[in-house]
Amino acid sequence: MLRNNPLVQKLVNSSVWKSIFRHGWPDNPLDRSLIMTQNVFLHLHSVKVSKKSLKATYSFGLGLLTTFSFLELTLTGILLMFYYVPSVERAFVDIVELQTTVPFGQLLRNMHRWGAHLMVIAAVLHMVRVFFTGAYKKPREFNWIVGVILLLLTLGASFTGYLLPWDQLSFWAITVGTSIAGYAPVIGPPMQKILLGGAEVGQESLVRFYALHVMVIPTFLLLLISIHLWRVRKDGGMAASEISDENEAA
Amino acid sequence: MTEEKDKDEKEAFEKSSGKTYSLVEMVKAPLTMVDKGPDDSIFSFPIVAIWEAILFLGMMVFLIGFSLIKDAPLEELANPLITTDPAKAPWYFMGLQELLEHMHPFFAGVALPGALVVFLLLIPYLDQSKAGIGRWFTSERGKLITKWSSIYAMIVFPAFAVIDYFFPPREIFRDVFPSWVTQSLIPVTILVVLAFLPVFYVWKKGEGKATARELIIALFTVMIVAGFALTIIGFFFRGPGFEMFWPWDMPAGYSPLDNL
Amino acid sequence: MTENQNKTKLSRHQFLGIAWFGALATLVGEFFAGLLVFIQPNLEGGFGGIVRAGKVEEFLPGSVNLVQAGRFYLVRNGEGGFIAYWQRCTHLGCSVPYEEEQAAFRCPCHGSVFDEHTGEVTGGPAPRPMDIFPIEITDGEVFVDTGNPQERSAFSDDQIAYG
Ligand code: HEM
Ligand code: FES
Repeated sequence: MLRNNPLVQKLVNSSVWKSIFRHGWPDNPLDRSLIMTQNVFLHLHSVKVSKKSLKATYSFGLGLLTTFSFLELTLTGILLMFYYVPSVERAFVDIVELQTTVPFGQLLRNMHRWGAHLMVIAAVLHMVRVFFTGAYKKPREFNWIVGVILLLLTLGASFTGYLLPWDQLSFWAITVGTSIAGYAPVIGPPMQKILLGGAEVGQESLVRFYALHVMVIPTFLLLLISIHLWRVRKDGGMAASEISDENEAA
Repeated sequence: MTEEKDKDEKEAFEKSSGKTYSLVEMVKAPLTMVDKGPDDSIFSFPIVAIWEAILFLGMMVFLIGFSLIKDAPLEELANPLITTDPAKAPWYFMGLQELLEHMHPFFAGVALPGALVVFLLLIPYLDQSKAGIGRWFTSERGKLITKWSSIYAMIVFPAFAVIDYFFPPREIFRDVFPSWVTQSLIPVTILVVLAFLPVFYVWKKGEGKATARELIIALFTVMIVAGFALTIIGFFFRGPGFEMFWPWDMPAGYSPLDNL
Repeated sequence: MTENQNKTKLSRHQFLGIAWFGALATLVGEFFAGLLVFIQPNLEGGFGGIVRAGKVEEFLPGSVNLVQAGRFYLVRNGEGGFIAYWQRCTHLGCSVPYEEEQAAFRCPCHGSVFDEHTGEVTGGPAPRPMDIFPIEITDGEVFVDTGNPQERSAFSDDQIAYG
């Protein structure tokens, strides 16, 4: 066993390791509990999970897939920021340059683009699965609400990102998209103006969409995803754990 | 706690003057894990962590592979004077844009999507029963409702789009009725009736015994499948001038996939 | 303080609680009000100002002219009157090209068609005629105020400007 390896023992018993992890090698119930409760990332999980909720055909891992695509998008997005300037003169040129002269630039852009599509698809499918498994029912009502907001934020992130390459595709897609907002009664026209920073899609719109895309929406996404995952644990784990045996027989 | 005190409920949870908190009330409610044998749940570590790692790696492999095969699109520099033909929104808004073809923008872009979001937010409060929680489709009936609502929506909504495309009330009655009749009243009424028909059917068929869950399943399924169908139509079947074409038979070298 | 007073009046404790909470609410309210003002766009300069289209004689009666700097079509009718249509489709904002053969403006986005003489909708989903810009003709020159698009529900003769 790995833990019996003298080197591993030395590592685990070192004061540095102990200062970071504060628990032993996780191969016994106590340490397997501690690893979950003492680690801020693993702490999102409960210590024990119902076997039913691990069944792949219950959740299809879609919520996780959405979370992971968000992480992937954050990573590739930050890298893109190193080469992209949100100005009407430079944005398009920067993208072309990224694709043609920056090593792995094209791959990076592709991964960000397709990752965004994946996140939208995964979030929608996740909602569909939560609906059909009835997992929104008491006590998970609020987490469903958080989920709906997350879906809207996901669409918002995709939409604001769509303008950034500043090509014909993005320009006209955003023109059409923001004009739709203008049809909302009373708040529509001012909302459209605030979003665009003017009467038409232009430099002001590009900066505004950029700020929304790289800061505002991701911040709220991160915040709400954290709340969402925390609530899954606080609501008693995934709904599958509540399938009673009569229910199954029925 | 002594046995004596146990008999008298009021004294069972005596308030201690030395504490700032106290147990005030006991509530009868199932614990989440109650009545489950110890073998029903397992330690999350390491099995969950391993599954998560596998899923993450799988996703990355898929994304990198796909990114190597297909490049993200980039057209010419934006030009405010010339509109591309067709001008399409991102694919996940194509269902909306397809709706925009058929009615006044207020309904297609604001009222109907708004109603959809409100419906989504209300679902947990409209369906208060806990029956079938965690079980796909709740029951056999739920499964049937889902199946037939999907088939229904998959036929009816594309049919609506195509019929309205060839016989648009907007053009047929342009000088006969005011535009709020042809662009709002007629199409919105048709759409709402189409969306609620399965709900009505389930309700009628259930003879008052249909549960809220069953009605909501019908409506949710119709909405999701309708959204899916309209998205497919808008994305694949609309070409230059936003006219309908077969996806493989687009004029002027246009390919729907350019818009990804 | 009697018992009675204690019940009807605010205790100091409650009063301070409300005051602190009120201060917090005011701060948050001010922040959002300020935010709303802060993000209002600044609409000056360039397109959106007064554009000089040219001399009256440059535009033949019965012609349709695109003035790119102002994003509008300057149309001169047979009697010599001017009208300036914003190029932006009243449906969802696409730029509407002029189609010579059809003598009409036809939007590529969802196929709205606008009449060349009046700007009124003759086909497609657009909900109102093309928006117009006010025209000022001084010293034989045509000036168009692109900062001030006018929505209208129908064409009428007073929308035509004469020099
Ligand atoms: C950014 C988008 C989202 C992320 C990252 C996300 C993430 C997750 C994750 C990781 C889980 C654990 C279960 C699983 O993997 O299926 C979960 C559960 C859940 N999600 Fe989401 N989600 C998102 C959007 C949504 C949406 C759109 C809804 C519904 C409107 C929703 C409602 C729920 C509910 C009710 C649960 C508990 C499910 C159960 O107990 O079985 N979420 N979410
Ligand atoms: S934007 Fe011109 S018809 Fe829709």
